[in-house]
Amino acid sequence: MKRGFIFYNRTGFLTLLNREIHRFMKVPVQTVLAPLISNILYMAIFGGMLQTRSVGIDGVSYLHFLVPGLATMGAIFAAFQNPAFSIISQKFQNTIQDLNSYPISVTEKILAFIFGGMFRGVLVGVLTYAATIFFVGYEIEYPLFFVLGLTATSFVFASVGLIAGLVLDNFEKMNFALAIVITPLTYLGGVFFEVSKLPGILSSIKYINPIYPLVNITRYAYIGVCEGNIYTHVLVTTVLVISSYLIAAHIFKKGIGIKTV
Amino acid sequence: MLSISNVSKTYKQGNKEALKNINLDIMEGEFTALLGQNGAGKSTLINIMAGNVKKTKGTVKIGGYDIDSNELDTKKIIGIVPQDTGYDFIFTVDEALKKQSGYFGIKDNKEYIDELLEALYLTEKRSARLRDLSGGMRRRFLIAKALVHKPKILILDEPTAGVDVEMRHTLYDFLIKLHESGTTIILTTHYIEEAEKLCKRIVIIDGGEIVADKPKEELMETFSREIVVEIHFDNELKLDDFDFLKEYQPQIEEKTNLKLKVLRKDFSKVFQKLAGKNMEFTDLIVEKPKLEDIYLNLINH
Repeated sequence: MKRGFIFYNRTGFLTLLNREIHRFMKVPVQTVLAPLISNILYMAIFGGMLQTRSVGIDGVSYLHFLVPGLATMGAIFAAFQNPAFSIISQKFQNTIQDLNSYPISVTEKILAFIFGGMFRGVLVGVLTYAATIFFVGYEIEYPLFFVLGLTATSFVFASVGLIAGLVLDNFEKMNFALAIVITPLTYLGGVFFEVSKLPGILSSIKYINPIYPLVNITRYAYIGVCEGNIYTHVLVTTVLVISSYLIAAHIFKKGIGIKTV
Repeated sequence: MLSISNVSKTYKQGNKEALKNINLDIMEGEFTALLGQNGAGKSTLINIMAGNVKKTKGTVKIGGYDIDSNELDTKKIIGIVPQDTGYDFIFTVDEALKKQSGYFGIKDNKEYIDELLEALYLTEKRSARLRDLSGGMRRRFLIAKALVHKPKILILDEPTAGVDVEMRHTLYDFLIKLHESGTTIILTTHYIEEAEKLCKRIVIIDGGEIVADKPKEELMETFSREIVVEIHFDNELKLDDFDFLKEYQPQIEEKTNLKLKVLRKDFSKVFQKLAGKNMEFTDLIVEKPKLEDIYLNLINH
């Protein structure tokens, strides 16, 4: 097959994808179990404290409101960290140049990193849901849509993680981006409460916060209702999926972080 | 097999001109040494071939494929052993080599991996994590990694740096066998004797330019104008007796041996002068010039 097609080297693509999954599966306590436990703790503490108060969507128990938020949050962090950590650790280990030596097309490389992160994101999201069955039962309004929501969320944040990995050159900067940008956006994206109930300007952040539609898609799939219009959320999410991929692809193709100019 | 035409490289950072109009053709089956000081441009040239560094101008063809228009096809042809012993610490030797095969589109490569591990004395370490290998083992692992896809050209960037003498010779034997099996090899090294022992062709880079590119013997013939001649006499010698050879910087060694530095063209003149003084000698040793002397001579001028 000619260069430029997605599968110039299918075995190469699958091997790179396998490495991205194998890498985090080798340390499951850090990569899967830790976020899962922290989500269960959120569920137990916040859920326990706030379920009697008027938080969340009217007519929906707070625990049911919280589950899709936590699943989305888990997916976001896991999907972001996988490619970002992988690329930065390759820079740290001085093996990043290996990426340039493989006869694998740029598109295949990008998809391998994104799909690796996406797999980890969906895994953490689904396991978070599975863990909450003990608190709220297993009912999901639209199960397939729920998985699709987590998949789209993970795709977007795996792309963002890939961009961060390419652009940033050490773990401190990656953690800084995670703590200063992604964590606040996640908290302000409606994971723990309805954004429209926030005071003043904080409630308007939803219009520029990419996490807001992602949380609401998963919430709609889980309980059948969400903040805002579900069709708008689907549209914005589609735009986010495409644009995050295109930006990651542009940076990767330019060789930023992996080639010397 | 490898054709580099008018390649220049100026790094954006610091506006440093690392390569100046390099032209180099490597034929199939050659064993070439690429020599030069630190910062001479060797690694930049290798990194351009590997796709790690973007060249400023010129063309590079590997196996007939242009690295710009047929980048992926060129990757299958070359194997690169990097200078740095970076490693993916999480995987074992076996896992890393299987993955490396996969990147090159090879699904089942167990037999060849076994062969490589045996040839490079790594069989016992196949289940060890890369972080647990010694420096020398990591070097050997990197060679195995560069060879899993059976490249036609192997480029080694200082492969024996930090490797003990015994293992270095094991690697030499391995590389000689690999070359005999038809692999084209390009070697950069700081050990000049390594290039002298292994390579048939020597390319010397200095200040981003090729200052010499010849078959080893021809290079030594061309550039080794001065030879050292040791003449043995059966009587004790005095330096004053050799004033007539002053221009050849005479030295007495072990009381009976005279050492002279002679230009090749003056070689016969020395013996004419000795005959003129009726001096008879018992033995004569001509020291072959070393590649190291030629190398130093070239890069110092």
